[in-house]
Amino acid sequence: MVPGHVTIGILALQGAFAEHQVAFQKVSVRKRVVVVQVRTTAELDQCDALVIPGGESTTIALLARLSGLLDPLREFIARKPVWGTCAGAILLARSVEGAKKGGQELLGGMSITIQRNGWGSQVESFEAPLDVCDLRDPQRPFTGVFIRAPVLLTLDTTPIDPPISVIARLPSSVLPRLVKNTLDQHDTDSQVTRTAVAIRQGRHFLTTFHPELTEDYRFHDYFVRECVLPEMR
Amino acid sequence: MSTLDTTPAVAQTASVANGAAASTNAPHVAPMRSAQTGRESTTLGTFGVKSGLAQMLKGGVIMDVVNAQQARIAEEAGACAVMALERVPADIRKEGGVARMSDPRMIKEIVEAVTIPVMAKVRIGHFVEAQILQSIGIDYIDESEVLTPADEEYHINKHSFKVPFVCGARNLGEALRRISEGAAFIRTKGEAGTGNVVEAVRHERAVNSEIRKASVMNEEELYAFAKDIQAPFHLVKETARLKRLPVVNFAAGGIATPADAALMMQLGCDGVFVGSGIFHSGDPAKRARAIVQAVTHYNNPKILAEVSEDLGEAMVGLTIDDNLKGGKMAGRGW
Repeated sequence: MVPGHVTIGILALQGAFAEHQVAFQKVSVRKRVVVVQVRTTAELDQCDALVIPGGESTTIALLARLSGLLDPLREFIARKPVWGTCAGAILLARSVEGAKKGGQELLGGMSITIQRNGWGSQVESFEAPLDVCDLRDPQRPFTGVFIRAPVLLTLDTTPIDPPISVIARLPSSVLPRLVKNTLDQHDTDSQVTRTAVAIRQGRHFLTTFHPELTEDYRFHDYFVRECVLPEMR
Repeated sequence: MSTLDTTPAVAQTASVANGAAASTNAPHVAPMRSAQTGRESTTLGTFGVKSGLAQMLKGGVIMDVVNAQQARIAEEAGACAVMALERVPADIRKEGGVARMSDPRMIKEIVEAVTIPVMAKVRIGHFVEAQILQSIGIDYIDESEVLTPADEEYHINKHSFKVPFVCGARNLGEALRRISEGAAFIRTKGEAGTGNVVEAVRHERAVNSEIRKASVMNEEELYAFAKDIQAPFHLVKETARLKRLPVVNFAAGGIATPADAALMMQLGCDGVFVGSGIFHSGDPAKRARAIVQAVTHYNNPKILAEVSEDLGEAMVGLTIDDNLKGGKMAGRGW
Protein backbone atom coordinates (compact mmCIF):
# COMPACT_ATOMS: atom_id res chain seq x y z
CA MET A 1 0.00 0.00 0.00
CA VAL A 2 2.25 2.70 -1.33
CA PRO A 3 0.89 6.29 -1.20
CA GLY A 4 -0.13 7.54 -4.62
CA HIS A 5 -0.27 3.99 -5.90
CA VAL A 6 -3.06 1.51 -6.10
CA THR A 7 -1.99 -2.10 -5.60
CA ILE A 8 -4.11 -4.71 -7.36
CA GLY A 9 -3.54 -8.32 -6.45
CA ILE A 10 -4.24 -11.18 -8.85
CA LEU A 11 -4.92 -14.46 -7.06
CA ALA A 12 -2.24 -16.62 -8.72
CA LEU A 13 -3.04 -20.11 -7.44
CA GLN A 14 -4.16 -21.50 -10.81
CA GLY A 15 -5.59 -20.18 -14.06
CA ALA A 16 -5.23 -17.16 -16.34
CA PHE A 17 -3.70 -14.72 -13.87
CA ALA A 18 -0.86 -13.46 -16.09
CA GLU A 19 -3.37 -12.13 -18.66
CA HIS A 20 -5.00 -9.91 -16.01
CA GLN A 21 -1.59 -8.62 -14.98
CA VAL A 22 -0.82 -7.59 -18.56
CA ALA A 23 -4.25 -5.94 -18.93
CA PHE A 24 -3.97 -3.84 -15.75
CA GLN A 25 -0.57 -2.62 -16.88
CA LYS A 26 -2.32 -1.02 -19.88
CA VAL A 27 -4.94 0.78 -17.77
CA SER A 28 -4.46 4.51 -17.45
CA VAL A 29 -5.95 6.20 -14.36
CA ARG A 30 -4.99 9.06 -12.05
CA LYS A 31 -2.97 6.79 -9.78
CA ARG A 32 -0.11 4.47 -10.64
CA VAL A 33 -1.38 0.89 -10.81
CA VAL A 34 0.90 -1.71 -9.27
CA VAL A 35 0.01 -5.36 -9.90
CA VAL A 36 1.14 -8.22 -7.68
CA GLN A 37 0.56 -11.96 -7.91
CA VAL A 38 -0.96 -13.33 -4.71
CA ARG A 39 -0.08 -16.82 -3.45
CA THR A 40 0.40 -16.12 0.28
CA THR A 41 -1.26 -14.06 3.04
CA ALA A 42 1.74 -11.71 3.09
CA GLU A 43 1.15 -10.89 -0.58
CA LEU A 44 -2.59 -10.47 0.01
CA ASP A 45 -1.92 -7.97 2.81
CA GLN A 46 -0.23 -5.57 0.33
CA CYS A 47 -3.33 -5.27 -1.85
CA ASP A 48 -5.99 -2.56 -2.15
CA ALA A 49 -8.13 -4.79 -4.37
CA LEU A 50 -8.09 -8.33 -5.70
CA VAL A 51 -8.94 -10.15 -8.92
CA ILE A 52 -9.90 -13.82 -8.76
CA PRO A 53 -9.10 -15.04 -12.29
CA GLY A 54 -10.52 -17.70 -14.56
CA GLY A 55 -9.34 -21.25 -14.03
CA GLU A 56 -10.98 -24.19 -12.32
CA SER A 57 -13.00 -23.09 -9.29
CA THR A 58 -12.50 -26.45 -7.51
CA THR A 59 -8.73 -26.28 -7.97
CA ILE A 60 -8.48 -22.65 -6.88
CA ALA A 61 -10.60 -23.31 -3.75
CA LEU A 62 -8.52 -26.35 -2.77
CA LEU A 63 -5.24 -24.48 -3.27
CA ALA A 64 -6.60 -21.54 -1.25
CA ARG A 65 -7.40 -23.90 1.63
CA LEU A 66 -4.05 -25.70 1.45
CA SER A 67 -2.25 -22.34 1.35
CA GLY A 68 -4.16 -21.04 4.41
CA LEU A 69 -5.81 -18.34 2.30
CA LEU A 70 -9.53 -19.16 2.64
CA ASP A 71 -10.24 -17.10 5.78
CA PRO A 72 -7.88 -14.24 4.84
CA LEU A 73 -9.66 -14.07 1.46
CA ARG A 74 -13.10 -13.94 3.11
CA GLU A 75 -11.91 -11.13 5.42
CA PHE A 76 -10.47 -9.30 2.40
CA ILE A 77 -13.77 -9.58 0.53
CA ALA A 78 -15.62 -8.12 3.54
CA ARG A 79 -13.47 -4.97 3.42
CA LYS A 80 -12.07 -4.39 -0.06
CA PRO A 81 -13.07 -4.49 -3.76
CA VAL A 82 -12.87 -7.85 -5.51
CA TRP A 83 -13.49 -8.80 -9.16
CA GLY A 84 -14.15 -12.41 -10.12
CA THR A 85 -13.94 -13.61 -13.74
CA CYS A 86 -15.51 -16.97 -14.67
CA ALA A 87 -14.13 -19.35 -12.00
CA GLY A 88 -13.59 -16.26 -9.85
CA ALA A 89 -17.26 -15.33 -10.33
CA ILE A 90 -18.24 -18.76 -9.04
CA LEU A 91 -16.06 -18.30 -5.97
CA LEU A 92 -17.62 -14.86 -5.30
CA ALA A 93 -21.18 -16.27 -5.39
CA ARG A 94 -23.09 -17.12 -2.24
CA SER A 95 -24.39 -20.34 -3.75
CA VAL A 96 -23.61 -22.53 -6.74
CA GLU A 97 -25.41 -25.17 -8.79
CA GLY A 98 -23.53 -27.89 -10.62
CA ALA A 99 -20.91 -28.10 -7.88
CA LYS A 100 -18.62 -31.09 -7.74
CA LYS A 101 -19.88 -34.15 -5.87
CA GLY A 102 -19.84 -33.48 -2.12
CA GLY A 103 -20.08 -29.71 -2.74
CA GLN A 104 -17.35 -27.14 -3.11
CA GLU A 105 -16.08 -24.26 -1.06
CA LEU A 106 -17.03 -20.70 -2.02
CA LEU A 107 -15.79 -17.36 -0.75
CA GLY A 108 -19.13 -15.56 -1.05
CA GLY A 109 -19.36 -11.79 -1.25
CA MET A 110 -22.08 -11.31 -3.87
CA SER A 111 -25.70 -12.26 -3.25
CA ILE A 112 -26.27 -14.43 -6.30
CA THR A 113 -26.76 -18.05 -7.27
CA ILE A 114 -24.60 -19.17 -10.18
CA GLN A 115 -24.54 -22.32 -12.30
CA ARG A 116 -21.18 -23.84 -13.27
CA ASN A 117 -20.71 -24.65 -16.98
CA GLY A 118 -24.13 -23.13 -17.54
CA TRP A 119 -23.92 -23.10 -21.35
CA GLY A 120 -22.53 -26.65 -21.64
CA SER A 121 -19.15 -28.21 -22.34
CA GLN A 122 -16.23 -26.78 -24.31
CA VAL A 123 -17.84 -27.42 -27.71
CA GLU A 124 -20.56 -24.94 -26.63
CA SER A 125 -18.01 -22.26 -25.72
CA PHE A 126 -18.50 -19.10 -27.79
CA GLU A 127 -17.65 -15.48 -28.49
CA ALA A 128 -20.39 -12.86 -28.72
CA PRO A 129 -20.64 -9.05 -28.92
CA LEU A 130 -22.05 -7.74 -25.62
CA ASP A 131 -24.17 -4.69 -24.86
CA VAL A 132 -22.32 -2.71 -22.22
CA CYS A 133 -22.99 0.36 -20.10
CA ASP A 134 -20.93 2.57 -17.76
CA LEU A 135 -17.72 1.59 -19.55
CA ARG A 136 -15.74 4.10 -21.56
CA ASP A 137 -17.10 4.29 -25.11
CA PRO A 138 -20.27 2.30 -24.24
CA GLN A 139 -21.71 2.42 -27.78
CA ARG A 140 -18.97 0.04 -28.91
CA PRO A 141 -19.90 -3.60 -28.18
CA PHE A 142 -17.42 -5.66 -26.19
CA THR A 143 -16.32 -9.07 -27.49
CA GLY A 144 -17.20 -11.48 -24.70
CA VAL A 145 -15.26 -14.74 -24.66
CA PHE A 146 -17.25 -17.44 -22.85
CA ILE A 147 -15.31 -20.60 -22.01
CA ARG A 148 -17.28 -23.29 -20.16
CA ALA A 149 -18.76 -20.19 -18.60
CA PRO A 150 -21.06 -20.03 -15.56
CA VAL A 151 -24.57 -18.54 -15.82
CA LEU A 152 -26.31 -16.30 -13.27
CA LEU A 153 -29.44 -18.05 -12.05
CA THR A 154 -30.94 -15.74 -9.45
CA LEU A 155 -30.18 -12.47 -7.74
CA ASP A 156 -30.74 -13.10 -4.03
CA THR A 157 -30.40 -9.53 -2.74
CA THR A 158 -31.72 -8.98 0.78
CA PRO A 159 -32.57 -5.50 2.17
CA ILE A 160 -29.16 -5.26 3.85
CA ASP A 161 -27.22 -6.03 0.63
CA PRO A 162 -26.13 -3.27 -1.76
CA PRO A 163 -28.19 -3.20 -5.00
CA ILE A 164 -26.99 -5.11 -8.05
CA SER A 165 -26.50 -3.34 -11.38
CA VAL A 166 -25.96 -5.01 -14.73
CA ILE A 167 -22.92 -3.77 -16.65
CA ALA A 168 -23.00 -6.16 -19.63
CA ARG A 169 -25.65 -8.30 -21.19
CA LEU A 170 -25.91 -10.82 -24.03
CA PRO A 171 -28.09 -9.04 -26.61
CA SER A 172 -31.33 -10.76 -27.58
CA SER A 173 -30.17 -10.88 -31.24
CA VAL A 174 -27.53 -13.50 -30.42
CA LEU A 175 -29.72 -15.58 -28.13
CA PRO A 176 -31.69 -17.65 -30.66
CA ARG A 177 -28.45 -19.13 -31.99
CA LEU A 178 -27.05 -19.56 -28.53
CA VAL A 179 -29.88 -21.19 -26.68
CA LYS A 180 -30.90 -24.72 -27.09
CA ASN A 181 -32.49 -25.68 -23.85
CA THR A 182 -30.29 -23.44 -21.80
CA LEU A 183 -32.70 -20.55 -21.50
CA ASP A 184 -36.35 -20.95 -20.72
CA GLN A 185 -37.91 -18.72 -23.37
CA HIS A 186 -41.19 -18.40 -21.47
CA ASP A 187 -39.74 -17.32 -18.18
CA THR A 188 -38.82 -13.69 -18.80
CA ASP A 189 -37.54 -13.09 -15.29
CA SER A 190 -35.10 -15.94 -15.45
CA GLN A 191 -34.00 -14.89 -18.93
CA VAL A 192 -33.31 -11.37 -17.74
CA THR A 193 -31.01 -12.77 -15.06
CA ARG A 194 -29.37 -15.39 -17.24
CA THR A 195 -28.38 -12.94 -19.96
CA ALA A 196 -26.63 -10.67 -17.43
CA VAL A 197 -22.94 -11.45 -17.81
CA ALA A 198 -21.27 -8.61 -15.89
CA ILE A 199 -22.75 -7.29 -12.65
CA ARG A 200 -21.68 -4.98 -9.91
CA GLN A 201 -22.77 -5.08 -6.28
CA GLY A 202 -21.29 -2.40 -4.04
CA ARG A 203 -17.52 -2.60 -4.28
CA HIS A 204 -17.56 -6.03 -5.93
CA PHE A 205 -17.64 -6.88 -9.61
CA LEU A 206 -18.24 -10.07 -11.52
CA THR A 207 -17.92 -11.16 -15.16
CA THR A 208 -18.84 -14.65 -16.36
CA PHE A 209 -16.69 -14.15 -19.47
CA HIS A 210 -13.00 -13.29 -19.97
CA PRO A 211 -12.15 -9.62 -20.68
CA GLU A 212 -8.50 -10.52 -20.00
CA LEU A 213 -8.40 -12.65 -23.16
CA THR A 214 -9.10 -9.68 -25.43
CA GLU A 215 -7.06 -6.59 -26.11
CA ASP A 216 -9.97 -4.38 -25.06
CA TYR A 217 -9.15 -3.19 -21.54
CA ARG A 218 -12.39 -1.31 -20.78
CA PHE A 219 -13.49 -3.71 -18.04
CA HIS A 220 -10.11 -3.48 -16.31
CA ASP A 221 -10.37 0.29 -16.57
CA TYR A 222 -13.93 0.15 -15.15
CA PHE A 223 -12.92 -1.96 -12.16
CA VAL A 224 -10.10 0.39 -11.21
CA ARG A 225 -12.11 3.61 -11.75
CA GLU A 226 -15.49 2.56 -10.39
CA CYS A 227 -14.80 -0.09 -7.76
CA VAL A 228 -11.26 0.48 -6.51
CA LEU A 229 -10.40 4.19 -6.60
CA PRO A 230 -13.60 5.40 -4.80
CA GLU A 231 -12.72 3.08 -1.89
CA MET A 232 -9.33 4.73 -1.47
CA ARG A 233 -10.44 8.26 -0.69
CA MET B 1 -34.77 -6.56 -11.10
CA SER B 2 -32.15 -4.29 -12.55
CA THR B 3 -31.81 -4.07 -16.28
CA LEU B 4 -29.12 -2.84 -18.54
CA ASP B 5 -29.40 0.84 -19.19
CA THR B 6 -28.95 1.22 -22.91
CA THR B 7 -29.18 5.00 -23.12
CA PRO B 8 -25.82 6.32 -24.26
CA ALA B 9 -23.92 7.30 -21.17
CA VAL B 10 -21.91 10.51 -21.16
CA ALA B 11 -18.49 9.63 -22.44
CA GLN B 12 -16.09 9.47 -19.54
CA THR B 13 -13.30 11.97 -19.85
CA ALA B 14 -9.98 10.25 -20.03
CA SER B 15 -8.42 11.06 -16.69
CA VAL B 16 -4.90 10.29 -17.70
CA ALA B 17 -2.41 11.67 -15.26
CA ASN B 18 0.00 8.94 -14.39
CA GLY B 19 -0.82 5.61 -15.89
CA ALA B 20 2.66 4.45 -16.69
CA ALA B 21 2.63 1.18 -14.86
CA ALA B 22 4.92 -0.91 -16.98
CA SER B 23 6.31 -3.63 -14.81
CA THR B 24 9.87 -4.72 -15.43
CA ASN B 25 8.91 -8.36 -15.50
CA ALA B 26 5.67 -8.43 -17.42
CA PRO B 27 4.72 -12.08 -17.86
CA HIS B 28 4.87 -13.54 -21.33
CA VAL B 29 1.34 -14.43 -22.22
CA ALA B 30 0.17 -16.58 -25.10
CA PRO B 31 -2.21 -14.21 -26.88
CA MET B 32 -5.65 -14.78 -28.32
CA ARG B 33 -5.21 -15.78 -31.92
CA SER B 34 -8.58 -14.78 -33.29
CA ALA B 35 -9.79 -11.70 -35.09
CA GLN B 36 -11.45 -9.34 -32.62
CA THR B 37 -13.65 -7.56 -35.11
CA GLY B 38 -17.21 -6.59 -34.30
CA ARG B 39 -19.44 -9.53 -35.13
CA GLU B 40 -23.18 -9.64 -35.07
CA SER B 41 -23.70 -13.18 -33.89
CA THR B 42 -22.18 -15.72 -31.58
CA THR B 43 -19.30 -17.82 -32.78
CA LEU B 44 -18.82 -21.33 -31.50
CA GLY B 45 -15.47 -23.09 -31.50
CA THR B 46 -13.32 -20.14 -32.61
CA PHE B 47 -9.58 -20.44 -32.17
CA GLY B 48 -10.08 -17.90 -29.38
CA VAL B 49 -12.26 -20.18 -27.27
CA LYS B 50 -10.10 -23.19 -28.12
CA SER B 51 -6.83 -21.61 -27.03
CA GLY B 52 -8.72 -19.78 -24.26
CA LEU B 53 -9.58 -23.00 -22.43
CA ALA B 54 -5.89 -23.91 -22.42
CA GLN B 55 -5.22 -20.51 -20.86
CA MET B 56 -7.68 -21.35 -18.06
CA LEU B 57 -5.79 -24.60 -17.36
CA LYS B 58 -2.48 -22.81 -16.78
CA GLY B 59 -0.77 -23.30 -13.45
CA GLY B 60 -2.64 -26.57 -13.16
CA VAL B 61 -2.14 -30.32 -13.34
CA ILE B 62 -3.93 -32.56 -15.87
CA MET B 63 -4.05 -36.15 -14.65
CA ASP B 64 -4.39 -39.44 -16.57
CA VAL B 65 -7.32 -41.52 -15.32
CA VAL B 66 -8.75 -44.83 -16.53
CA ASN B 67 -12.14 -44.83 -14.76
CA ALA B 68 -14.65 -42.61 -12.98
CA GLN B 69 -13.31 -43.46 -9.53
CA GLN B 70 -9.80 -42.29 -10.42
CA ALA B 71 -11.31 -39.18 -12.01
CA ARG B 72 -13.03 -38.32 -8.71
CA ILE B 73 -9.75 -38.81 -6.80
CA ALA B 74 -8.04 -36.48 -9.28
CA GLU B 75 -10.78 -33.84 -8.96
CA GLU B 76 -10.64 -33.96 -5.15
CA ALA B 77 -6.85 -33.62 -5.32
CA GLY B 78 -7.16 -30.37 -7.30
CA ALA B 79 -6.60 -31.50 -10.90
CA CYS B 80 -7.62 -28.72 -13.33
CA ALA B 81 -8.65 -31.39 -15.89
CA VAL B 82 -8.47 -35.14 -16.38
CA MET B 83 -7.29 -37.17 -19.37
CA ALA B 84 -9.44 -40.24 -19.96
CA LEU B 85 -7.64 -43.22 -21.43
CA GLU B 86 -7.94 -46.98 -21.47
CA ARG B 87 -4.51 -47.76 -20.03
CA VAL B 88 -1.92 -45.39 -18.58
CA PRO B 89 1.28 -45.20 -20.66
CA ALA B 90 3.26 -47.42 -18.23
CA ASP B 91 0.74 -50.23 -18.82
CA ILE B 92 0.77 -49.68 -22.58
CA ARG B 93 4.55 -50.21 -22.42
CA LYS B 94 4.24 -53.31 -20.27
CA GLU B 95 1.40 -54.98 -22.15
CA GLY B 96 2.22 -53.93 -25.70
CA GLY B 97 -0.31 -54.28 -28.53
CA VAL B 98 -2.12 -51.53 -30.39
CA ALA B 99 -3.30 -48.70 -28.10
CA ARG B 100 -6.47 -46.94 -29.29
CA MET B 101 -9.07 -44.38 -28.23
CA SER B 102 -10.97 -45.48 -25.11
CA ASP B 103 -14.50 -46.88 -24.99
CA PRO B 104 -16.88 -43.89 -25.32
CA ARG B 105 -18.98 -45.33 -22.48
CA MET B 106 -16.03 -45.14 -20.09
CA ILE B 107 -15.36 -41.56 -21.20
CA LYS B 108 -19.03 -40.62 -20.67
CA GLU B 109 -18.91 -42.10 -17.17
CA ILE B 110 -15.92 -39.90 -16.40
CA VAL B 111 -17.70 -36.83 -17.85
CA GLU B 112 -20.67 -37.60 -15.57
CA ALA B 113 -18.47 -38.11 -12.50
CA VAL B 114 -16.57 -34.81 -12.51
CA THR B 115 -17.18 -31.08 -13.10
CA ILE B 116 -13.69 -30.24 -14.38
CA PRO B 117 -12.82 -30.47 -18.12
CA VAL B 118 -12.37 -33.97 -19.50
CA MET B 119 -9.83 -34.68 -22.24
CA ALA B 120 -9.29 -37.90 -24.16
CA LYS B 121 -6.64 -39.26 -26.51
CA VAL B 122 -6.91 -40.21 -30.17
CA ARG B 123 -4.31 -41.87 -32.38
CA ILE B 124 -2.16 -39.61 -34.58
CA GLY B 125 -4.05 -39.06 -37.84
CA HIS B 126 -7.22 -40.87 -36.70
CA PHE B 127 -9.77 -38.17 -37.47
CA VAL B 128 -12.74 -40.50 -37.01
CA GLU B 129 -11.79 -41.19 -33.39
CA ALA B 130 -11.72 -37.39 -33.05
CA GLN B 131 -15.18 -37.04 -34.63
CA ILE B 132 -16.52 -39.59 -32.14
CA LEU B 133 -15.03 -37.76 -29.15
CA GLN B 134 -16.37 -34.42 -30.39
CA SER B 135 -19.85 -35.90 -30.73
CA ILE B 136 -19.93 -37.07 -27.11
CA GLY B 137 -19.01 -33.57 -25.90
CA ILE B 138 -15.45 -34.06 -24.69
CA ASP B 139 -13.70 -30.80 -23.74
CA TYR B 140 -10.26 -31.36 -25.31
CA ILE B 141 -8.62 -33.98 -27.56
CA ASP B 142 -5.01 -35.10 -27.27
CA GLU B 143 -3.71 -36.33 -30.65
CA SER B 144 -1.15 -38.44 -28.89
CA GLU B 145 2.01 -40.38 -29.68
CA VAL B 146 1.23 -42.53 -26.61
CA LEU B 147 -1.38 -44.37 -28.68
CA THR B 148 -0.34 -46.35 -31.77
CA PRO B 149 -0.33 -43.99 -34.79
CA ALA B 150 -3.05 -44.51 -37.39
CA ASP B 151 -1.29 -42.50 -40.10
CA GLU B 152 2.44 -42.31 -40.65
CA GLU B 153 2.32 -39.25 -42.86
CA TYR B 154 -0.54 -36.94 -41.91
CA HIS B 155 -1.80 -35.50 -38.64
CA ILE B 156 -5.47 -34.60 -38.18
CA ASN B 157 -6.61 -31.30 -39.74
CA LYS B 158 -7.62 -29.83 -36.40
CA HIS B 159 -9.05 -26.58 -37.83
CA SER B 160 -12.13 -28.44 -39.01
CA PHE B 161 -13.22 -29.37 -35.45
CA LYS B 162 -15.12 -27.31 -32.84
CA VAL B 163 -13.39 -29.21 -30.06
CA PRO B 164 -9.82 -28.02 -29.35
CA PHE B 165 -6.70 -30.20 -29.65
CA VAL B 166 -3.46 -30.53 -27.71
CA CYS B 167 -0.42 -32.12 -29.40
CA GLY B 168 3.05 -33.21 -28.32
CA ALA B 169 6.29 -31.70 -29.60
CA ARG B 170 10.01 -32.29 -29.17
CA ASN B 171 11.22 -29.03 -30.68
CA LEU B 172 10.04 -25.71 -32.04
CA GLY B 173 9.50 -26.92 -35.62
CA GLU B 174 7.26 -29.75 -34.49
CA ALA B 175 5.29 -27.45 -32.16
CA LEU B 176 4.66 -24.90 -34.92
CA ARG B 177 3.69 -27.57 -37.46
CA ARG B 178 1.04 -28.79 -35.00
CA ILE B 179 -0.19 -25.23 -34.41
CA SER B 180 -0.45 -24.66 -38.15
CA GLU B 181 -2.64 -27.79 -38.35
CA GLY B 182 -4.90 -26.22 -35.71
CA ALA B 183 -3.57 -27.37 -32.33
CA ALA B 184 -4.57 -24.80 -29.68
CA PHE B 185 -2.31 -26.16 -26.97
CA ILE B 186 1.16 -27.79 -27.03
CA ARG B 187 2.88 -30.13 -24.57
CA THR B 188 6.36 -31.59 -24.53
CA LYS B 189 6.38 -35.24 -25.56
CA GLY B 190 8.86 -36.37 -22.94
CA GLU B 191 8.89 -40.15 -22.76
CA ALA B 192 5.51 -41.30 -21.44
CA GLY B 193 5.22 -44.19 -19.01
CA THR B 194 8.85 -44.10 -17.85
CA GLY B 195 8.65 -41.94 -14.72
CA ASN B 196 11.87 -40.42 -16.08
CA VAL B 197 11.78 -36.67 -16.63
CA VAL B 198 14.93 -36.42 -18.76
CA GLU B 199 13.19 -36.37 -22.15
CA ALA B 200 10.63 -33.75 -21.08
CA VAL B 201 13.52 -31.57 -19.94
CA ARG B 202 15.33 -32.14 -23.26
CA HIS B 203 12.23 -31.16 -25.25
CA GLU B 204 11.40 -28.06 -23.21
CA ARG B 205 15.01 -26.87 -23.34
CA ALA B 206 15.11 -27.48 -27.10
CA VAL B 207 11.97 -25.38 -27.66
CA ASN B 208 13.23 -22.57 -25.42
CA SER B 209 16.65 -22.50 -26.98
CA GLU B 210 15.25 -22.30 -30.52
CA ILE B 211 12.87 -19.50 -29.48
CA ARG B 212 15.76 -17.55 -27.98
CA LYS B 213 17.74 -17.96 -31.21
CA ALA B 214 14.79 -16.86 -33.35
CA SER B 215 14.08 -13.86 -31.14
CA VAL B 216 17.29 -12.08 -32.19
CA MET B 217 17.10 -12.93 -35.90
CA ASN B 218 16.32 -10.43 -38.63
CA GLU B 219 13.69 -11.20 -41.26
CA GLU B 220 16.09 -12.83 -43.78
CA GLU B 221 17.44 -15.11 -41.09
CA LEU B 222 13.91 -16.01 -39.99
CA TYR B 223 13.03 -17.16 -43.53
CA ALA B 224 16.05 -19.48 -43.55
CA PHE B 225 15.35 -20.63 -39.99
CA ALA B 226 11.72 -21.45 -40.85
CA LYS B 227 12.98 -23.60 -43.73
CA ASP B 228 15.49 -25.34 -41.42
CA ILE B 229 12.97 -26.25 -38.74
CA GLN B 230 10.23 -27.00 -41.32
CA ALA B 231 7.69 -24.62 -39.82
CA PRO B 232 5.43 -21.98 -41.44
CA PHE B 233 7.17 -18.61 -41.63
CA HIS B 234 4.29 -16.59 -40.15
CA LEU B 235 4.28 -18.73 -36.99
CA VAL B 236 8.07 -18.58 -36.68
CA LYS B 237 7.87 -14.79 -36.97
CA GLU B 238 5.09 -14.52 -34.40
CA THR B 239 6.98 -16.78 -31.98
CA ALA B 240 10.12 -14.67 -32.38
CA ARG B 241 8.14 -11.51 -31.65
CA LEU B 242 6.37 -12.98 -28.58
CA LYS B 243 9.54 -14.74 -27.36
CA ARG B 244 7.36 -17.74 -26.49
CA LEU B 245 5.11 -20.26 -28.22
CA PRO B 246 1.94 -18.57 -29.48
CA VAL B 247 -0.22 -21.04 -27.49
CA VAL B 248 -0.11 -22.47 -23.97
CA ASN B 249 2.70 -24.99 -23.41
CA PHE B 250 2.56 -27.75 -20.78
CA ALA B 251 5.12 -30.36 -19.76
CA ALA B 252 4.34 -34.05 -20.19
CA GLY B 253 6.03 -37.42 -20.35
CA GLY B 254 7.87 -38.72 -17.29
CA ILE B 255 6.81 -36.38 -14.49
CA ALA B 256 6.56 -38.41 -11.25
CA THR B 257 7.31 -36.13 -8.28
CA PRO B 258 6.44 -32.60 -7.08
CA ALA B 259 10.06 -31.65 -7.74
CA ASP B 260 9.79 -32.87 -11.36
CA ALA B 261 6.68 -30.71 -11.81
CA ALA B 262 8.34 -27.62 -10.30
CA LEU B 263 11.44 -28.22 -12.47
CA MET B 264 9.32 -28.11 -15.62
CA MET B 265 7.55 -24.95 -14.40
CA GLN B 266 10.87 -23.22 -13.71
CA LEU B 267 12.02 -24.20 -17.20
CA GLY B 268 9.09 -22.13 -18.48
CA CYS B 269 6.15 -24.53 -18.88
CA ASP B 270 2.65 -23.19 -18.17
CA GLY B 271 1.47 -26.35 -16.34
CA VAL B 272 1.97 -30.13 -16.34
CA PHE B 273 0.38 -33.39 -17.42
CA VAL B 274 0.98 -36.34 -15.10
CA GLY B 275 0.27 -39.76 -16.58
CA SER B 276 1.35 -42.96 -14.91
CA GLY B 277 3.13 -41.05 -12.11
CA ILE B 278 0.03 -40.71 -9.93
CA PHE B 279 -1.98 -43.91 -10.11
CA HIS B 280 1.16 -46.07 -10.28
CA SER B 281 2.44 -44.65 -6.99
CA GLY B 282 1.88 -45.80 -3.40
CA ASP B 283 -0.59 -43.08 -2.35
CA PRO B 284 -2.21 -41.54 -5.47
CA ALA B 285 -4.44 -38.98 -3.69
CA LYS B 286 -1.61 -37.58 -1.60
CA ARG B 287 0.90 -37.49 -4.47
CA ALA B 288 -1.64 -35.86 -6.78
CA ARG B 289 -2.36 -33.13 -4.23
CA ALA B 290 1.38 -32.57 -3.65
CA ILE B 291 2.03 -32.15 -7.39
CA VAL B 292 -0.89 -29.67 -7.64
CA GLN B 293 0.66 -27.59 -4.86
CA ALA B 294 4.12 -27.87 -6.40
CA VAL B 295 2.87 -26.38 -9.68
CA THR B 296 1.37 -23.36 -7.87
CA HIS B 297 4.35 -22.78 -5.57
CA TYR B 298 7.04 -23.87 -8.06
CA ASN B 299 9.32 -21.01 -7.10
CA ASN B 300 9.10 -21.58 -3.34
CA PRO B 301 11.55 -24.34 -2.22
CA LYS B 302 10.24 -24.22 1.36
CA ILE B 303 6.72 -25.17 0.29
CA LEU B 304 8.14 -27.70 -2.20
CA ALA B 305 10.00 -29.38 0.67
CA GLU B 306 6.84 -29.53 2.79
CA VAL B 307 4.67 -31.05 0.07
CA SER B 308 7.36 -33.56 -0.99
CA GLU B 309 7.51 -35.14 2.47
CA ASP B 310 6.23 -38.61 3.14
CA LEU B 311 4.47 -39.32 -0.17
CA GLY B 312 5.08 -43.06 -0.13
CA GLU B 313 6.49 -45.02 -3.06
CA ALA B 314 6.98 -43.18 -6.34
CA MET B 315 6.32 -45.12 -9.54
CA VAL B 316 9.20 -47.31 -10.62
CA GLY B 317 11.23 -45.36 -13.17
CA LEU B 318 12.71 -46.75 -16.37
CA THR B 319 16.02 -45.95 -18.01
CA ILE B 320 15.51 -44.57 -21.50
CA ASP B 321 17.84 -46.51 -23.84
CA ASP B 322 17.53 -48.74 -26.88
CA ASN B 323 16.21 -51.61 -24.72
CA LEU B 324 13.27 -49.55 -23.38
CA LYS B 325 10.24 -51.81 -23.30
CA GLY B 326 7.57 -50.46 -25.63
CA GLY B 327 10.16 -48.37 -27.48
CA LYS B 328 10.52 -44.59 -27.64
CA MET B 329 7.09 -43.09 -28.17
CA ALA B 330 8.41 -39.55 -28.70
CA GLY B 331 9.63 -40.53 -32.18
CA ARG B 332 6.02 -40.91 -33.35
CA GLY B 333 4.62 -37.82 -35.08
CA TRP B 334 5.93 -36.05 -38.15
